Amino acid sequence: MAPLPLAGIRVLDFTWVVAGPVATRLLADFGAEVIKLERKPGPPGSRQTGLQGDLHRNKRSIAVNMAHPRGVEIARRLAALSDVVIDNFSARVMRSWGMDYASLQAVKPDIICVSMSGLGHSGPRANYVSYGPTLQALSGFTLLMRDSSDAPVGYGYSYADMVGGYTGALATLMALRYRQRTGCGQFVDLAQFEALVSVIGPSLLEIAVNGRPSAPPYYRSQEMPAAPHGVYRCRARDDDDDRWIALSVQSQAEWERFVKVLETPAWSREPRFQTLYLRMKNQAELDRHIEEWTRAQVAEEAMALLQRAGIAAGVVNNGADLCARNPQLGAREFWGRVPLPDGSSTQVTGIPARLSRTPGTIRTPSPLIGSANEYVLGELLGYDAAARARLIDDGAVWA
Amino acid sequence: MSSMESDGALAGLRVLDLANYRGGLCARLLADMGADVIKIEPPGGEAGRRIGPFVDNRPHRDRSLFFWFYNLNKRAVTLDLQRPAATAIVKRLASAADLIIENFAPGRLAELGLGWEVLEQVNPALILLSIAPFGQTGPYRDFRADDTVLAAEAGMLYVNGRPGHQPVRPLGLQAYHSASYFGAIAALCALFARDRDGRGQWIDLSMQEATAAAVEHVAGSYFGEGRIEPRRGTLHWSRYFRVGRCRDGYIMHCTLGDWTSLVEWVKADGKAQDLTEPQWDDVLYRAAHAEHLFDVLDEWVKDYTCEELLERAQALRLPYASVRPPEALFADEQLAARGYFVEVEHPELGRRFRYPGAPYCFGRSPWRVYRRPPLLGEHTGEVFGDELGLAADEMAALAAEGII
Repeated sequence: MAPLPLAGIRVLDFTWVVAGPVATRLLADFGAEVIKLERKPGPPGSRQTGLQGDLHRNKRSIAVNMAHPRGVEIARRLAALSDVVIDNFSARVMRSWGMDYASLQAVKPDIICVSMSGLGHSGPRANYVSYGPTLQALSGFTLLMRDSSDAPVGYGYSYADMVGGYTGALATLMALRYRQRTGCGQFVDLAQFEALVSVIGPSLLEIAVNGRPSAPPYYRSQEMPAAPHGVYRCRARDDDDDRWIALSVQSQAEWERFVKVLETPAWSREPRFQTLYLRMKNQAELDRHIEEWTRAQVAEEAMALLQRAGIAAGVVNNGADLCARNPQLGAREFWGRVPLPDGSSTQVTGIPARLSRTPGTIRTPSPLIGSANEYVLGELLGYDAAARARLIDDGAVWA
Repeated sequence: MSSMESDGALAGLRVLDLANYRGGLCARLLADMGADVIKIEPPGGEAGRRIGPFVDNRPHRDRSLFFWFYNLNKRAVTLDLQRPAATAIVKRLASAADLIIENFAPGRLAELGLGWEVLEQVNPALILLSIAPFGQTGPYRDFRADDTVLAAEAGMLYVNGRPGHQPVRPLGLQAYHSASYFGAIAALCALFARDRDGRGQWIDLSMQEATAAAVEHVAGSYFGEGRIEPRRGTLHWSRYFRVGRCRDGYIMHCTLGDWTSLVEWVKADGKAQDLTEPQWDDVLYRAAHAEHLFDVLDEWVKDYTCEELLERAQALRLPYASVRPPEALFADEQLAARGYFVEVEHPELGRRFRYPGAPYCFGRSPWRVYRRPPLLGEHTGEVFGDELGLAADEMAALAAEGII
């Protein structure tokens, strides 16, 4: 079997919370050796299952006290053996340890440093603390994502952290390509705020160019004009009445096929629904009629009927739909499984992009904090057993 | 091949972009870093050129702001892939390319005579990235989806909104965007694999899977605890954030900052109720009792204006934030200081426009604006004539037949 695409790349990983670990997890999935440098005791809760299991799988962990001078020495020696050093602190933290790009260049001239801070290393707010939900509030997501109540709702989670993570992984790979070509490392200053703002680009261009005020999209199509277009309530299933279907009807041919699936009810022949323009104009009435139909349907069955007729439709999947019953994700074996040290195993999120020759793999569970101390301190850095014991006694390393 | 020297991280990388707007961000991410991206469109232009908004609200294939965002820094040629002569041209382009990105319906590329088996013969070092709504295999392979349907099927919708009410859809086409980021990451990984043995490969990217991976907590809660994540209104699933309402607008509460500072402030305003009790010092207790905590804090903020509240919060280093419209980004001091927005010249319109800029600042190989988004067929002559070496009479014949 061909080696993993990033085999031989070593990443010294200072990141924590979500965005940073998402970035280094992607690199680890594709074969980079990611060594997490962590504090002990770690955050409460299990590290090996659930979101934490997803975030840290395929990585190694060492427990080093960066408040101790010999802890910093270990980190610097490890940086000298690494290709990439990545963090998600604000600017001052890595500098205070002498682990910023300028300092690390002295120990590894072609080092790549990627810093994924919230607001970036420059500017008046460089040292402000931010989180996914605060960035989403600042960017417009929270205000403009609304339902009919017309109060801001926003995401129920930190999409910002996922975008930040993807952007961080991509930036790291691009910097590695540059080093491959030129032999030069560099510093990448990634503001998660800017990464998030970048994914609402089309809305920003409209504001900048046309000066049109932004508005909540609700369920109007944000791409090809479509009507009907939205999410409709379906029949309860197993006492669960929180069942919904999403559908999108664009062309006239699609509309005609759609109406046929509904068995051409009388309302569908009314003049006010006969063209896309009219359907968009009368969308509220249209939606009410369609929901009469969907309320009588099981979401999965309605989706099958509509897809068979060539209409874009999908169930609004909840966690169980997605993880346990989705026929497509099941057939493609999307969800991964990783063995745990106690002999059991846990399921984790899979790897969406499938490379035909060198696919990413799920190899090891999220590491216990400090579980790679011996490998890193002994094998990589050459401390013998006695020296390692001294580091622990001195409080530079946690056993 | 590139007509412009590039100091970008991906200079020298040659990309054929056969994707429409649904996968358009992927090649754009590469083009921004110096890759030479040639977008191949059907003679009438890709669908994205017909999607608004348009400059000054005047619909035209070269005035779509939607198209502009996804195609900055690319060159564009037209080619009718339905015609056999076009297939031969794509093969010639493919022989000198590193990466092809396509998002046709699964199987369509093979019908056009450009399937992976063919392309691999033409250029064994080529990487083919196929982006499809549900991937190249499985029972949903031929199903249709737009961004909203994908977000639904990927679990991105169910968890946004108020309990019992309609799930709320993201701002922007975030299923497409998630897939494009994954596609770019995967393509670069394939380049590293190619460095070893000179061989390319085929990447099967499912937008459903990429979007499902971009939902932070749903799979983890299900696999970890067997919990189906519900909709919680504006309460973040971590239970440390909720939207609150000031006198003149909304703010995002956060109970992860310095609790002592926050509670002293609330107490000084006479609104602390039971929050001064010591159990609230424990961050996990605050999460467990988030509903009550935010109810108390909502009572407290309702007499403030957003500006008063946020100014004071910032002084105390409390990570509160204003819930504001995207317009505010253009006046944001931090983005301005970092030069986030960039001016792009559109000479044929005699105007310059402000574009959203770099998602990352590279020290040596910067994100750059190399060229404004291409007009329809703008580089057809340059690419097919100067670079591929088609003679003027060949080009004229292809044009006469409507192939280019």
